[in-house]
Amino acid sequence: MINIDLGATAISVLTLFGIYALMSISLNLEYGVAGVPNFGQALFVSIGAYVAGVTYTRLLPLLAGMESVHPCGPTMGQALQLRSEIMATQPVAGFINLALTLVIAAILSGAVGFAVSYVTLRLKEEWFLALVLLVGGETVRIVVRGADDLICSHNGISSVAQPFYFLDDVQMSSILFMLLALALALIAYLYSQRLTHSPYGRMLKGLRENEEVTRGLGKGISLARAQIMLIGSAIAAIGGVLFALNTGFVNTNDYVVTLTLDVWVMVVLGGIGNNRGALLGAALIAIMDRVTQVAAIALNMSGSPIEFNYVRFIAFGIILLLMLRYRPAGLLPESRLTTIAHETAKRLTPGKTI
Amino acid sequence: MPSSLLVTSLVNTIQIGSLYALMALGLTLTFSVIKLPNFAHAEYVTAGAYAALIISLAGVLNPLIIIAVAFLVGALTAVVSHLIVFKPLERQNVSLYTLILASFAVGLIIRYILFTIADYFNIFDLRIAIPLQILFRTGSLILTNLFAWVAPTSIVLVILLTLLINRTALGREMRALANNTILARVIGIPVERVKNYTWLLVGGMAGVAGALWGLQSAVSPLMGWAAIISVFAAAILGGLSSFPGTILGAYVVAFSENTIMLFLNFSYGVDLAYKPAIPFIIIIAVLLIRPQGLTQLLKRAGELGR
Repeated sequence: MINIDLGATAISVLTLFGIYALMSISLNLEYGVAGVPNFGQALFVSIGAYVAGVTYTRLLPLLAGMESVHPCGPTMGQALQLRSEIMATQPVAGFINLALTLVIAAILSGAVGFAVSYVTLRLKEEWFLALVLLVGGETVRIVVRGADDLICSHNGISSVAQPFYFLDDVQMSSILFMLLALALALIAYLYSQRLTHSPYGRMLKGLRENEEVTRGLGKGISLARAQIMLIGSAIAAIGGVLFALNTGFVNTNDYVVTLTLDVWVMVVLGGIGNNRGALLGAALIAIMDRVTQVAAIALNMSGSPIEFNYVRFIAFGIILLLMLRYRPAGLLPESRLTTIAHETAKRLTPGKTI
Repeated sequence: MPSSLLVTSLVNTIQIGSLYALMALGLTLTFSVIKLPNFAHAEYVTAGAYAALIISLAGVLNPLIIIAVAFLVGALTAVVSHLIVFKPLERQNVSLYTLILASFAVGLIIRYILFTIADYFNIFDLRIAIPLQILFRTGSLILTNLFAWVAPTSIVLVILLTLLINRTALGREMRALANNTILARVIGIPVERVKNYTWLLVGGMAGVAGALWGLQSAVSPLMGWAAIISVFAAAILGGLSSFPGTILGAYVVAFSENTIMLFLNFSYGVDLAYKPAIPFIIIIAVLLIRPQGLTQLLKRAGELGR
């Protein structure tokens, strides 16, 4: 048997949970609340990761007051050493770089989300938006992989260090990174809770339920759809930055359609339209990810002929199908909307259901 | 660009275009009759390819038998996925996005079951090795019996399917369903039976496409998934409704991926790594500019010819 370091496992699962939560909250806002079928979640996550790949190789040395070295080609090793050294010795430059990365990623991804949703207004059928986003994500991936300079084509960028890399205590640095991920997820959760329960959030739900009626009530539905795509995409990109920092790599192979599906599984499992459900889904998938990883290693070591990593995907597919068939509302179904008017009415007419 | 390369790329265009047509017609049929943009379609192709590969490894090298087995396995996969997943979901009147998501899940499950099988028997990236014969040779162009199997079989199947849709009672019922499902039910068309036959045909054709694909290049669990966007591009060029449009679309996509890509590579130094971006660009361009696809153009050309 293999020994499992419980502390380290807990830290890694919680970090993963924070990152997944950002992605699932983003998709829940877009699809769960506003009904925009974002099958291009991987695209917006990848924008965050690619931005990190660029800033950690170009911006970071400048912030540390050094000359930046081209990260690809013959100077690859030198550039890698340079960024590791800066991250180990100049924490301030590292933090400023991280902050700028998060801001740039959120703005860029939000802008892309906004623009895509406006462009796709021209589409004849609604599900074409799903196809355009799916296809757009793959196109960006292929173009980034084809470009030699951006993140070194298929080689990717390695050693993108976590912001607390300068600490000698490895465990301490991963705990701090975990707290950072959880804090960002918490902010995103509180923000989306407020948004969902505001009048604006009710308008978005109206848009989801019936576009014509919402339009008839005088709401600008195209703008609303573009706005929610902006917000959702920005959150997804922040998740992408953390995802890249967590693995330490920026590689186009990580941002394929399966990532999009993973996020969909989280939202469908947790509860479509419920932010708490999105958190629950993210937590369950983070745990399942870790369990399957450990199981795969254990089975491989015991000489099992079946590759367990494949079983993970089969299991995800089956979970998704079972949920869609038997519990389409998810584990935590969307709660009833309550407004101040509801509560006042309830107080004034006790005993009656409103 | 040298002419020998041009000829080779055109031969590729015909071969791959015919396979795309075979797959894209299935997709168009599913979309019009079942009302489902089926992302699991690619996996029926891979399942057919693996069935063909496995019986060829078992010693059966007659291409006709290989194709028949691939048809059966593809059809079986499609019908099972319909009965277990899509039919119950349709009964619940779920939204189109739920169906799309379910088709992704079905695809994921089939793909990774094939991965598990391939891993267990260690059969990755093998070609279905029927004996090769050289039929025709001029300069650098060599046509083998593979070409004689792949392109004509697909073209014959495409013609047969078109005849079935246009000339038979089943085809008429399918067209009725495509036009208006409720009305078709009202006038007494056995909707469920027609749907079952549709899935059978769609899966079978995808399976055959997989076997033919495996004759010319390596079989891997990702082969269908890698082609699905090209196939979608072809179907969308056909407006997801017209058969002639879809067939034309398939050859347009294959031509862009082979001949035009090679031309861009030679003349402008565009890296061949960008090849997978071509169907994506086609899809986005068509959806934004001409969502009805080539259908109207074809209709207009037909009117001019009359």
